[in-house]
Amino acid sequence: MQREAPVGPNLLATARDALLQEILPKLSGTDAFTARMIANAMAIAAREAVQDDDWVAAARTTMQRLTGATAAPDRALSAAIRTGAYDPGSKHHTEVAALLRDAARRRCAISVPRVLGKA
Amino acid sequence: MDEARRAKLKDWLRGATGAADLELGAMALLSGGAIQQNWALDVTLAGREEAWVLRTDNAATLAVSLPRTGEFALLRAAFAAGVTVPTPLYLCEDSGVLGAPFFIMRRVQGIAAGHRVVKSETLCGGRDAAVQALGRELARIHRITPPRADLAFLGAPPADACLAFVAEQRAALDRQALPRPVLEWGLRHLERTAPPPLPPVLNHNDFRTGNLMLAEAGVTAVLDWEFAAWGEPHADLGWFCAKCWRFGSAYEAGGIGAREAFYAGYAAEAGHAVDAARVTWWELAAHIRWAVIAIDQAARHLSGKETSLELALTGHIVPELEWEILNMTGVPHAA
Repeated sequence: MQREAPVGPNLLATARDALLQEILPKLSGTDAFTARMIANAMAIAAREAVQDDDWVAAARTTMQRLTGATAAPDRALSAAIRTGAYDPGSKHHTEVAALLRDAARRRCAISVPRVLGKA
Repeated sequence: MDEARRAKLKDWLRGATGAADLELGAMALLSGGAIQQNWALDVTLAGREEAWVLRTDNAATLAVSLPRTGEFALLRAAFAAGVTVPTPLYLCEDSGVLGAPFFIMRRVQGIAAGHRVVKSETLCGGRDAAVQALGRELARIHRITPPRADLAFLGAPPADACLAFVAEQRAALDRQALPRPVLEWGLRHLERTAPPPLPPVLNHNDFRTGNLMLAEAGVTAVLDWEFAAWGEPHADLGWFCAKCWRFGSAYEAGGIGAREAFYAGYAAEAGHAVDAARVTWWELAAHIRWAVIAIDQAARHLSGKETSLELALTGHIVPELEWEILNMTGVPHAA
C-alpha cells in the first residue's frame, strides 16, 4: 500500500501553475503581488520536499570533528569563527570555507536556486 | 480614520497653521507599513488646495526605529542642509489627537518602487544622471555632523563606526535563536579588515533604491529617515551600492546607474573622492545587516504574533545573502 499519487511536490507544482497562468493575469496591484508571493512560497516548499537532507548530518559530523563539540557543533563553530580560529592561514581555514560554501549552496537550492544559475 | 478623529485633526491643524477656515478634504492611507502609517491628506488653506502627507506611528513600533518626533527633526535638518526631502510642516507630539504623535509634510510626486525605478531609462534624465544626482544628495546628508542640539536624541557618535557595526551585529546574532556561521564568517572578515575611523557624519542608514523618489525631472525626495544615526559616510555609499539592493539589475549603483557616476556625483558635492575600498567593506556589512534584519522579520512570523507571508518569505532571502557574503570574503565556489 502507498500514498495516493500525485503526492506533495507534484500537487504544489500543478497548483502553482494554475495560480500563475489562470489567476494571476486577472489580478493587479497588491493582489498580484500577493499571488506572486504565494507562488514563490509554493515553489520553495516543493523544492524542500524533494531535497535529500543527508548534507545536514554530514555537516554536523564535520563540525563536531572540527570543534570537538558534540551537542551544538554549529554554535561551537560560530563561536570559533568569531574568535578567529579559522582565519586565513589557520590549519582548518580551507575546510571551514568549503563547509560554509556547501551549506550555502544547499540552502540556496531550496530558497533561491536562481543564485546557483538554476531556474 | 473615523469622524471624531478627523474633527480633532482639523482643530489641531487650524491651531498649527493659524488658519481658522482650514478645511480637511480626502484622506487616503498610502501605506500601512509595519512601523508607521502614511496618509495622503488634501487640505484647503486660505483658499488654496494643499497636498500633504500625515505620518504617524503604528501601535507596534520596532524598537530600532526612531519615533516620529525624531524623524521630523531629521527632516528639518536635512531640508536645511539642502537635501531633497518633503518639506516638513507641522509636528504634533500630543498623542491625544490621533493616538500617537504625527507630523505633516508636503506631498511629493514621483516613483520610488525599486522594481520600477531600476527598469526606467528616463527617470532623472537617464541612469547616470540619476545616480549622480543621488550621489550629490548623499553628500549633502553627510554635511550634517555632530554635535547638534536639535539631533541630541541620536546620542553620541561611535568612536569607531566600523567596529561598532561589528559589535552591534554580533549582539543581534546573540539575541537570535540559531547560530549563523556564515554571518559570523563575514563579521570576522570585517573585524580583521576594518579601516581606521573617520570623523562622524549623519548616516541616513536606509539610503537605497525603494526609499528614493524620482521623477523625470530629477530626485523628488529622500524618504524614510527612521534609521538615521551618526556614523561613517561610506556606510551609506555601501548600502546604496550593495548587490542585495539592486532589484536584480546589473547596474552597480542601486540597480539604477554606473557606480563611477554615483561616486562622481558624490565627490563633486563632497569636495573629496570616495574611498572605494571603504565602500567595499560596507557592501559586505550591508549584506550582513540585511541578513540579520531578514532573520528577525522571519522570527516575527515564526513567533505566531504576526503571521505574514511577506515576513515568512523574507527569511528565505538569507541563503542568497550568505552566498554573496562568501563571495565577498574570497571563498571559492567549488565545494
